[in-house]
Amino acid sequence: MNLLIHAAGPQTTVQDLGRRGALRTGIPPSGPMDREAFLLANRLVGNADDAAALECTLIGPRFELADARWVAVTGAAMPVTLNGAAMPRWAAFEVKPGDTLRLGPAASGVRAYIAVSGGIDTPPALGSRSTYLRGQLGGHQGRALRKSDVLPLGPSSGGAPAEVLHRFIPDYTQATTVRVVLGPQDDRFTERGIAALFEAPYEMTPQSDRMGARLRGARIEHTQGHDIISDGVALGGVQVVGDGQPIVLLADRQSTGGYTKIGTVCSFDIGRVCQVKPGQRLSFTRVTVAEAHELLRTHRAGLDHAIHWEETP
Amino acid sequence: MGIYAEPRVLPCGDLALSVELGDDINREVNARVLALEYLIQQRGLSGVTETVPSYRSLLVYYDPLIVGWDALRKSLHALWREARPEVLPRARTVEVPCCYEGELGFELEAAAEKIGLPADEVARLHADADYYVYFVGFTPGLPYMTGMPERIFIPRLVQPRLKTPPGSVSIGGIQCCIYSVESPGGFWVLGRTPLRLYDPESADPILLRAGDHVRFTMITRSEYDAIAAAVADGTYAPRVPVAP
Repeated sequence: MNLLIHAAGPQTTVQDLGRRGALRTGIPPSGPMDREAFLLANRLVGNADDAAALECTLIGPRFELADARWVAVTGAAMPVTLNGAAMPRWAAFEVKPGDTLRLGPAASGVRAYIAVSGGIDTPPALGSRSTYLRGQLGGHQGRALRKSDVLPLGPSSGGAPAEVLHRFIPDYTQATTVRVVLGPQDDRFTERGIAALFEAPYEMTPQSDRMGARLRGARIEHTQGHDIISDGVALGGVQVVGDGQPIVLLADRQSTGGYTKIGTVCSFDIGRVCQVKPGQRLSFTRVTVAEAHELLRTHRAGLDHAIHWEETP
Repeated sequence: MGIYAEPRVLPCGDLALSVELGDDINREVNARVLALEYLIQQRGLSGVTETVPSYRSLLVYYDPLIVGWDALRKSLHALWREARPEVLPRARTVEVPCCYEGELGFELEAAAEKIGLPADEVARLHADADYYVYFVGFTPGLPYMTGMPERIFIPRLVQPRLKTPPGSVSIGGIQCCIYSVESPGGFWVLGRTPLRLYDPESADPILLRAGDHVRFTMITRSEYDAIAAAVADGTYAPRVPVAP
């Protein structure tokens, strides 16, 4: 009833849907950077949406399971092999005790998810199994996984062959456009500054992490400086500091901050931001709150039809 | 300056909005922010998933498939009318021991020179004040406070330092904070508390809350070491809130 790590990869962590209610004490929600890929991995193996799975960054782990389980790998295009044989991604398959499963380096995208039927059963901290690395909280001992770590698994209720429909599988090699609602401090930017954000694409820089995506591109001009009276920072907040460059704040963000936020990336596009590799570019487009809510509704409904279940023989 | 006649509601993407109640840092505005948050918790406002108070605004996370923008605005506005400091439960006063000596208060001398008072006088003025916690944030458990006498106000560091030890009691502008985890910092470090502002091993990991009052008690280096050892052993019982 456990998972044994033979090689961990640069940053593999346990994540569930995140920690709710602790932001008011400065503890971020954490949870998967790409929520859609994470949810689909869980659903493929028959888990509840909030079961814990592994998030792998750029290179995945090598591991084995102590008993037979269904496994699914989604997100970044890390080649999956089972005892050396190539396996499909975005699909559920069975893994037997003693099999070695391995994820290679990402050909595209940044973060991949590995869900195991039954879920990872590490002890919850403040109601969640998500790892908050900077706060050494949750997950497996509050840290990224290492060689020889043993993770407990929850009871598995079996599984069935299933795959994500082709049209729901993102192509991370394509340029991404993400949608932004202006505010809360768009009034602190010049018209030219706001136009700059939406005109040309921005490049992802290697300084990006689970706290924020640091981007480089056209300077976003302020009207009167970048300091504000510190306020809460929403998921996706696009913070612009003195150098005029945007930072999109993510799952492990600071709960509050003293810098202007020109806009906020919509929740349903956060996953796409988190799959953009350093050097790749992404563009922003503007939507209203009402449009964003309509898009969210469509997005959630779409996810519910993303998986094709094969009939069991 | 002060409290707005009507709250400003600002969009923060598709899942959050910010309710801004005033335009400066003062306790009256902040008490109304905390009162609004408290009423939301008490009433269990439908569709609200999480709230984050700060100096003058409340960030409200919501699920738009449960409550729409207009409906949420309306119910928040109705609660705002009731959100007076009197609705809040009685505030706690928390005693925080602080050692201002040697390397623990590694910027006390420099700060005192800039302020133009002797170092022991700056430490005494700092320790004698009553502090109010506006909110806790940025890093886990870090309190944003005011309360120092004007005589020890000091501009922030020109060049922020890259690492500040957890527990560092620090001042900048009119504010006082206690760093909760090792992090960059732009405030002058006057001393250090042996208490843990954030303890991930604990079931209740956060020492201070928005609305608390804090009193520093000046301790010697040997008292600091004794309390630090007790905290490490888990035998330092009181995170003692004392009645005001």
